[in-house]
Amino acid sequence: MISAIARKEFLDVWRDGRFRIAAAVVVVLLGVALLLAWQQVQRARAERAAAAALERENWLNQGEKNSHSAGHYGVYVFKPLAPLAVFDRGLEPFVGSTVFLEAHRQNQAAFLPAQDATAMRRFGELTAATGLQLLAPLLVVLLTFGALAGERERGTLRQVLSLGVRPRDLVLGKAIGLGVALAVLLVPVALFGAVALANLPEGDAGGSWLRFAWLGGAYALYLAAILAVCLAVSAVASTARTALATLLVCWAANAVLAPRLASDFAQRVLPTPKLAEFETAMHKAVQEGLDGHSPRQQQLQEFAQQTLKKHGKTRIEELPFNFNGLVMLESERLAGEVFDHHFAKLWDRLEAQDRIVTWTGLVAPLLGLRAASMALAGTDFTQHRHFSVAAEQHRRDFVRVLNEEMMNNTAGGHHGGVAGRSLWEKLPAFRYDPPPPAHALRAAAPGLMVLFLWAAGAWTALLLVAPRLKPN
Amino acid sequence: MLETVKLTKRFNGQVAVNELNLLVKPGELFALLGPNGAGKTTTINLLLGFLAPDAGEARVNGASVAADPIAARRHIAYIPEQVMLYPRFSGVENLDYFSTLGGRRHTREELVTLLKRAGLPAEAADRRVGTYSKGMRQKVGIALALATEAKALLLDEPTSGLDPAASHEFSLLLRKLAGQGVAILMATHDLFRAREDATRIGILVDGKLAGEYATNDIKHMDLEKLYLKHLRA
Repeated sequence: MISAIARKEFLDVWRDGRFRIAAAVVVVLLGVALLLAWQQVQRARAERAAAAALERENWLNQGEKNSHSAGHYGVYVFKPLAPLAVFDRGLEPFVGSTVFLEAHRQNQAAFLPAQDATAMRRFGELTAATGLQLLAPLLVVLLTFGALAGERERGTLRQVLSLGVRPRDLVLGKAIGLGVALAVLLVPVALFGAVALANLPEGDAGGSWLRFAWLGGAYALYLAAILAVCLAVSAVASTARTALATLLVCWAANAVLAPRLASDFAQRVLPTPKLAEFETAMHKAVQEGLDGHSPRQQQLQEFAQQTLKKHGKTRIEELPFNFNGLVMLESERLAGEVFDHHFAKLWDRLEAQDRIVTWTGLVAPLLGLRAASMALAGTDFTQHRHFSVAAEQHRRDFVRVLNEEMMNNTAGGHHGGVAGRSLWEKLPAFRYDPPPPAHALRAAAPGLMVLFLWAAGAWTALLLVAPRLKPN
Repeated sequence: MLETVKLTKRFNGQVAVNELNLLVKPGELFALLGPNGAGKTTTINLLLGFLAPDAGEARVNGASVAADPIAARRHIAYIPEQVMLYPRFSGVENLDYFSTLGGRRHTREELVTLLKRAGLPAEAADRRVGTYSKGMRQKVGIALALATEAKALLLDEPTSGLDPAASHEFSLLLRKLAGQGVAILMATHDLFRAREDATRIGILVDGKLAGEYATNDIKHMDLEKLYLKHLRA
């Protein structure tokens, strides 16, 4: 019986011209969004690869200079765009794509794509993810608001129930039929996404296919929850118009209000410092030590005394190496502690804010989905942090090699001797390996849990409401 | 087959059905007459289990409707004042869907035959019902009763709004069903059709059965007088 109801529901929806038009619009929008994003990701990846190659050339051909100057010459490293940015660009437009690595400083990623965007960005960016997050639920609303309330109004519900159909079977049959109608629209979009991914150079990097499968699961959970909520509202609403109005209000609250309110709430509960404040505090800690009572000069003087004692010398000039190189190494170590402390504090705070927003998803499921979607696509903050840490590690390795050269090359006095291409070649080009799928799954876990709770709760509610289905 | 025992239903303290005792046996067509608000539709809703009684009991095939409304409905076909169908489906598709829900699967040929038996023109069977007249939809309702082989038929003013020819055709189908042993309870305002089709007539006033008559015992004129007498009493 459930299959007969599902079949009828599917056919009824499919024969509805309004649904076909709405579905065509959604499918075309999603398809175009995927195509454009695929082109954009391909272009961005090519640009960044070309820039990285050029940067390497510049580094190798910088000419002869002492290693300390090379440390200030620095290098740019570029964040490779995750393949699944085709689907969900996440934070990519709002976090930098390039980090300048230089001696003494840990720089944050710069060159935000959003800075180059026109004012149109204020209206949001159409990606397959935003389409599925915002438009697909609207389609579900249009598909379902009259499923039970409309039948009640028309009198067909009375006719159906008079035949001895169990209300729960009716509701389940309708849910399956409508779910299949939705799947018929969205499965081709998913296949199109898979084709786009398969045709992206290095599209399988970072376990993209596993992430893609999980993304499919996350969106299926989200839409299943929305479908159940819509049917439950349609089951209890006195008229189809009431059901539609209620569901549109819920949609607006979920899609428009909740993200803004949740972000403001998280910032209020766990405020982050302004960039200038952050930089000032870090600079002060570098000068005065993390505890504020260990001035850098004093620390370095103590370090000089310890070094002289260790080597049984009384004067720096007597040391068998360039002491300035060693000081640079120690200075970098001390600064590294400060950077680690301050950046970890800032990043932990940002991640805590994200967790607040994600768990607010218990009220509005979009927040849970967005968090899971970005994490699985590799475009969330945890993966930006992973890149930033890798870039900083590369900076420290690169500065360490230069400082060791300065320490051991005693020919040039204060800043060491002149070095050339042979040294520059010793420093490998930056190579970033994106985190494995397990990292993405850990980051996505809270969002996935929110979605699971929503789906379980919504279906339980629907099954509880179903037996109380009244014919009028 | 259809029975009510001291069946009572109140809405906000107002009595809609008042200790109603009814019995419709297989092969009987019982016409329930009464003015608007007399409790006819409420009685049908109680027999369908769409409403829970405040006292008394509705029974279908000897079993309490309140105890298991789903099982009770399995024996019943219900034809409201306007049979509502799915406009994007043809007559055959609607009948197929509803009869499947009623627990009976039929081949397409059987469904077409059932529609024909119910009096639907052959060319209409595959047409979308959005184009059907009210009379045609009522015939699909009758076809559904035939398709589900219901033991009892509940009709709520089924001929209201039908033209005399369609109404007559509908009556013939009802009589045929009664002749096949179906118990029929028909709520109606139509004194003429009640006198013509029913085997027994009950007059419901303020939720109470004010009078009950065998149609063989009364003439048309007498029925109208009796009806008015009970209303004025």
